[in-house]
Amino acid sequence: MNNIIEMDNVSKFYRKVPAIRNVDFNLRKGEIHALLGENGAGKSTLTKIMAGVVEANEGRMLYHGKQVSYASPHEALKAGIAMVFQETSLVPSMSVAQNLYLGSENFLNRLRGINISAQQFLQSLNFPVDPKAMVATLGAASRQMVEIARAVHHNAEVIIFDEPTASLTPEEKRHFFALLRRLQADGVSLIFISHALEEALEISDRITILRDGKHIMTGDTKDFDREKIVAAMVGRNLSEELYSKHAGKPARKAGKKVLSVNDISMGSAVRNTSFSVFTSQVTGIFGLIGSGRTETFKIVSGIYKRDFLRGGSVELEDKPIRYLTPAEAIRDGIVYVTEDRKGEGIFETMDIGENLFGGLLASGNNKGLVVRMKDVRKLASQWIGQLNIKTINDNARVVELSGGNQQKVVIGKGLTQNPRIIIFDEPTRGVDVGAIAEIHQLINDLADKGIAVVVISSYLPEILNLSDRILVCRQGRIVEEFSPDEATEEKIMYASVH
Amino acid sequence: MNASSFNQERIVLIATILIAVSASVFLSGFLNVPNLISIVRSISVLGILALGMAIVIIGRGIDLSMVAIMAMSVAWYLQMINDGYNDYLALMLVITGVIAIGALNGFLVAYADVPPIFVTLATGLFVFGYVRSQLIPSDAVAVPHGHWLELMGQFRLFNIPVDVFIFIALSFAAFIFLRFTKWGRYVYFAGDNPAAARNIGIPVRPMQVLRYVLAALISFIAGLLTAASLLSIQTRVINSNLLYDVILVTVIGGIGLSGGKGGVRNVLIGSALIGILLNVMTIADISLLSQNLIKSTILLAAIILDGVLNPRDEQTAQQGDI
Repeated sequence: MNNIIEMDNVSKFYRKVPAIRNVDFNLRKGEIHALLGENGAGKSTLTKIMAGVVEANEGRMLYHGKQVSYASPHEALKAGIAMVFQETSLVPSMSVAQNLYLGSENFLNRLRGINISAQQFLQSLNFPVDPKAMVATLGAASRQMVEIARAVHHNAEVIIFDEPTASLTPEEKRHFFALLRRLQADGVSLIFISHALEEALEISDRITILRDGKHIMTGDTKDFDREKIVAAMVGRNLSEELYSKHAGKPARKAGKKVLSVNDISMGSAVRNTSFSVFTSQVTGIFGLIGSGRTETFKIVSGIYKRDFLRGGSVELEDKPIRYLTPAEAIRDGIVYVTEDRKGEGIFETMDIGENLFGGLLASGNNKGLVVRMKDVRKLASQWIGQLNIKTINDNARVVELSGGNQQKVVIGKGLTQNPRIIIFDEPTRGVDVGAIAEIHQLINDLADKGIAVVVISSYLPEILNLSDRILVCRQGRIVEEFSPDEATEEKIMYASVH
Repeated sequence: MNASSFNQERIVLIATILIAVSASVFLSGFLNVPNLISIVRSISVLGILALGMAIVIIGRGIDLSMVAIMAMSVAWYLQMINDGYNDYLALMLVITGVIAIGALNGFLVAYADVPPIFVTLATGLFVFGYVRSQLIPSDAVAVPHGHWLELMGQFRLFNIPVDVFIFIALSFAAFIFLRFTKWGRYVYFAGDNPAAARNIGIPVRPMQVLRYVLAALISFIAGLLTAASLLSIQTRVINSNLLYDVILVTVIGGIGLSGGKGGVRNVLIGSALIGILLNVMTIADISLLSQNLIKSTILLAAIILDGVLNPRDEQTAQQGDI
């Protein structure tokens, strides 16, 4: 009897669409269990059932051998099952200590008492977080720590991590893994959802793979390798073609210089950075979170404004530019494809066609002032075909699509604007393996067509695979340039942290 | 759009039909032509105001100054005519003032980033206070004898008063604007996700100003109609329930306060429900106090029913990875 959780033939439907179907899963006491699968495979749904966030439609769940069903995360937490969410569920306007004790406050609370015991508790976990700091002021890694501390604080026997490492730097990741080992040594059972296969192979004891809401396989980690996992995840073998370095293709020669950025600054986020972008090639930008890469390119595309005094200069084909709004940049052909799909990419209440049409409409490429539904439908079917967007019908709302297909819609929206320079910020974040290959192909095609393409990524294999030139960003400036021949993961990482 | 087939809009439509049918059966004075005309007439000013409110709310704003602008602009206009100004000049002055207030609302919301609820509350009070204290000497201003507003108020086509036609025409214009024009579509993009709208190059801020200006102009038209049918404008209307009724009509038809949802059809359905309901309650001789109770119950019921039938589950609230 060493299974702490057993899921038996569990199914969950969202509006009659199955998210998971007849899935069996078990978690042994004191193990780290990696749960892998493409986006939409049902990983989050399965774990959310365990944590009481959603209720299963069919099947049963055994916890400590007893059948249970939790109506709310609070009930599950009381029973000892905690979940650390992908998008952190902390209250930003409260302090770390208040967040730690959220939901377990006494009737009367003394702020000082909470702060002191939070301090002691965080120290016992070896977390360098100030309990009095507002959560809103913390970075991603610190927030993650607070989330974990909260789960530990509730004496959870099972902790579920949903994509915990997505926003962590390599250094923070090491700390995080050390923490997982410590929790494991204390007898806590851990479930670890991730897209990064190397991490799963490194940290876990057992691996379960889901695909299309079905259970594919479970086994000891030592029996798996990268190839086998990818094959099981996508049902076909494409890992090689995906991240083989440039697939033996020589780097594209630089075309015309379209954009030259000289010495631009914005507060403390971007400091005196200079670089150029050329047509007909992919310029890869690597940098850790907080290195100012996104800010730099948001300045270029008019979303942010650089400092007014000593802000440096930006030239588009030798014409100095200073944009006040993104609309001006788009009219000049500079399009930015956001990393934050949900926050500033998609229009949730609208369908695919309307999302795409928004791009066309705003760029002024739509003739006249009249919007015809016929045109919207035509645009939708055209881009659904071109980008291979997988959808039930052309009128589906974007919220109903998987992450990869949403990303395609966001990219399509940018492409309707006829870009001369297109900036992809983390184009494959939260995107499943199949769609990653398609998006990479699309990026290569754009560069082949003569467009100046910029790809910002914090995933090294992606940068190495796509780029014809690699720029490394650190502390608000571009610090080094590599050609793809000389670049290695070690060199790039070294440049980005030293 | 393949949202649930049984949403708030449908619920309200069905409730409206149910009320209308049972009223025709049980209330003798309900189902005849003069009464039906009076229903549409009673709702037309409210409906026109709701059209303006809808444009603002779909764009993720709210305009609490509409009633103040409606009453005070017309009061100022009539006062100038009574003081012997040239009619044309007075009209131009008032329209300029109305546009200026709308633009001020929009400017403060869009460029100064003040929440619209505070901005419009303040400008509404300002308009009332300024016009009442500086420009007009009494609470009510009468329409001068023989003025075109009086003639307009008396105008009938097939026995139908002019308010109804103007309501229909404005509804149609708003429908065309929201559904088919570029700027109208921008309202939805900006209401759904302002950050994304700005990123793809939509001029979010100028469009916000435009919406408040439109709302102000629509308020002015509603004020002119009120003056035409009552032959005077009573500025105390600002202290009445009218503003809440406007929001009620807008929201009950299914236009979400979170923006990006709904259209003219929702305003019409909301107007129909409130118009019929008020009429039925008046015929049935229900007191004004109980009427408010019934209105609020219906709004709450519609919202709760919508919440039960279309639960915001994980899937709609937090999309992405299933």
